[in-house]
Amino acid sequence: MSRAFAIETHGLTKEFGKFAAVQSLDLRVAANRTTGFLGRNGSGKSTTIKMLLGMTHPTGGSATVLGRTVTDEQANRETRRNIAYVGEDKQLYRYMTVEHLIRFTKSFYSDWEPDVHERLLKRFQLPLDRKVKALSKGMRTKLALLLALSRRPELLILDEPGEGLDPVAVEDLLQDLVSAGANGITVFFSSHQITEVERIADQVCILDRGKLVADLSLEDMRKDYRRITLGFSNEPQPAKFRLPGVRNIQTSGRQITLIASGNADAIVEIARDMGPVSVDVAPIGLREVFLDTVKTGVA
Amino acid sequence: MLWYKAWRESQGTFLLSAAAISLLCLAFAMLRQEASGGISDEPLPYAVYIWKIVYGGYLREVFVILVLLLGMGGLMRERDNGTAGFTVTLPVSRARLVLVRAATGLLEVLGLALLPAALIPGLSALTGESYSYAQAWQFALLWGAGGTFIFMIGFLSSCIFAGPYTPPVAGFLALMVYSVLSDLPIMERYSLDVHDLMSGSGMPWLDLNTARLIGPVSWTPAAVFFLIALALVVPACSITRRQDF
Repeated sequence: MSRAFAIETHGLTKEFGKFAAVQSLDLRVAANRTTGFLGRNGSGKSTTIKMLLGMTHPTGGSATVLGRTVTDEQANRETRRNIAYVGEDKQLYRYMTVEHLIRFTKSFYSDWEPDVHERLLKRFQLPLDRKVKALSKGMRTKLALLLALSRRPELLILDEPGEGLDPVAVEDLLQDLVSAGANGITVFFSSHQITEVERIADQVCILDRGKLVADLSLEDMRKDYRRITLGFSNEPQPAKFRLPGVRNIQTSGRQITLIASGNADAIVEIARDMGPVSVDVAPIGLREVFLDTVKTGVA
Repeated sequence: MLWYKAWRESQGTFLLSAAAISLLCLAFAMLRQEASGGISDEPLPYAVYIWKIVYGGYLREVFVILVLLLGMGGLMRERDNGTAGFTVTLPVSRARLVLVRAATGLLEVLGLALLPAALIPGLSALTGESYSYAQAWQFALLWGAGGTFIFMIGFLSSCIFAGPYTPPVAGFLALMVYSVLSDLPIMERYSLDVHDLMSGSGMPWLDLNTARLIGPVSWTPAAVFFLIALALVVPACSITRRQDF
């Protein structure tokens, strides 16, 4: 079934006592796209993912995944048939061998792809007869990825998938995620590795202190976001630069730096009228947007 | 495959329990002279000795502890181990996860309850004594009914509490409180003491002089305990459904 959004939440909230891990989250993850989910430690990313998968019960709001309500137990169980998930800690049954765990997991899903499974097994060089408890963290992560990627789900949810992997394996993982996206699978993944997110994501959602503080298309970001650095002969007044599109202003002596999320040309035009001695306009990357967003708390 | 998982998770405890019960049966049958000194100053008839040390005594107490421990595990333990996320995101209901684990555990309890019945008569014959299979199987059924009830106390405790120590401690405490309450004079007429059910003591069908089950055993109390054990699966499912992992 074709739908615009694979994930939609409205006012989704999770409180642990007085602490709100996720607060009134309105999130929309477009279908057939790759969306990165960024945030600092403890920002609520994993709690959000757990609520979407029915692992944790929301204390407020609502959410649908693949068109089904997450709080409806039966619907959520059906949804999980079409979701592949790799959890944050990648812990798997220690007492099973790699082969047993693959056979165990395979028995629950009809969309298992034996050829993909074989290819990944070869690439990851996982020893079939070895018990999970004897695998290194990196190997365990590879096994968790194999179990998720050997299927053809509608939605792939990964919580910090690259953690514990060596650079070669991370590169392979990114290729797999790109290829999953190209095959029409919606990919939703959280990561601390901003460069990885920037490389493969179409869309980025930034969560801070349980709130969604940014939801931006990376294409738009590349097109519209600019760092404008202006040098003046006298100390500039920051208040004059509070213009539409300016999301952050930093001054350092006679230099002022503006972070613009759009309208850069108009901002530069206005700034030129103030008689700067130098004007520098440069595109900015996701890292800068992320840091700026979580510092200011606005998109 | 959920059955396979449930078996793999409990097989260590089950096999160790089976080994412990088997070894104790062997020791009690072979070392009668040494062991009977610890339970009576007087020489005891063989059937009385077996009842005092196996069905009414030490081995029953060991069995109670083992089946309570067999109830440990499940999703709360998995949450501690970090595998709960993998398990609860499988496309199966939490109720099914609980039911499969409970059913596996109940079958294991019945297996453990049958062990003395399978071993004691044969071991007795090896030492030149005799113990009736009919007596042993009847005690096995009483142990099975009581054992499933005790297992479910441990099982329920492991569904509620997290951590490696809290569930067994809470299970033991719950069983102790239950035992004390069921022994109160006001409760005695209801025959609610699961230990008495398993040993037969205080029951009209046990002759304490010969330590043999005499006359028709009323299976109603055993059936009631077994049904209560089955009913305890309902709160276990309900609690697990509401939990966050």
